[in-house]
Amino acid sequence: MQNNTHETAGSTFLNVVEQLTFMFGESVPKSELEVDGVEFTLAQMRFNGDLPGVLSIGVPSEITAEIAANILGLEAEDIESKEMKLDALGEVLNVVCGHVIMALVGTGANFKLDSPEVKAITEEGCNELILNDDFTGFILDDSPVLLGLTLEN
Amino acid sequence: MAFNILIVDDSAIVRAVITKALKLAEVPINQLYQAGHGKEALAVLENDWVDLVFCDISMPVMDGEEFVSAMKENGMIDSIPVVIVSSAGSEPRVARLKENGVKDYIQKPFTPERIREVVDQTMGVIQDAE
Repeated sequence: MQNNTHETAGSTFLNVVEQLTFMFGESVPKSELEVDGVEFTLAQMRFNGDLPGVLSIGVPSEITAEIAANILGLEAEDIESKEMKLDALGEVLNVVCGHVIMALVGTGANFKLDSPEVKAITEEGCNELILNDDFTGFILDDSPVLLGLTLEN
Repeated sequence: MAFNILIVDDSAIVRAVITKALKLAEVPINQLYQAGHGKEALAVLENDWVDLVFCDISMPVMDGEEFVSAMKENGMIDSIPVVIVSSAGSEPRVARLKENGVKDYIQKPFTPERIREVVDQTMGVIQDAE
């Protein structure tokens, strides 16, 4: 059940990210993720309703500019504002979250999304996420990415 | 006819994306207003003429559903079309919003073509009614 849930969340994540940011990815074993010395940014949001829980996306901080630029149709060099980079990752999480909940529960799902929280995490924090069974690994445009889904029921 | 459009979303990047999509879709724009949540949006509506509102659901301070309810209470929803742009639009929520007067729902991610389609349909209904 848990594997199916994470597979559904993962495929939904990849579809939404492709549509929203034009970045292409694939699911990979977390052991294949090369995160040593990579600064990560983690976006998390809580959702309530039929399926309460928390969804998280961790990406190398250096690709947040590319994410923002792709959403806006600009070049990564054009994105100078740190707030815009964090906002972009939060918005990706927001859109992924709505789609993941409806993929898991159905389009009749009753749910409410909290605002995303986005912050930098240490290499140690990143390694903790890799060891966490709620997180799965992806390669997105050659970058290591973590998707976390923690359900409360 | 060029429209005065209000975009309500707590994300600056989403406001920028909707603005860009409106321009790519060649929607005629006179004035573009922005608000970070429903309460700010109500203040804009009280002070400026707005033809069409694009509004998110999940926002701090006053979310999209509360904003639509406030517009229904003060009667604005009858004269100012509201289109919800969100990823949190489950069928029961969209049905509830439409019962409260919302004209249409755009699921994120969206295309400029979808924005244009909704603007044409929504503003066409208003123009026909006049």
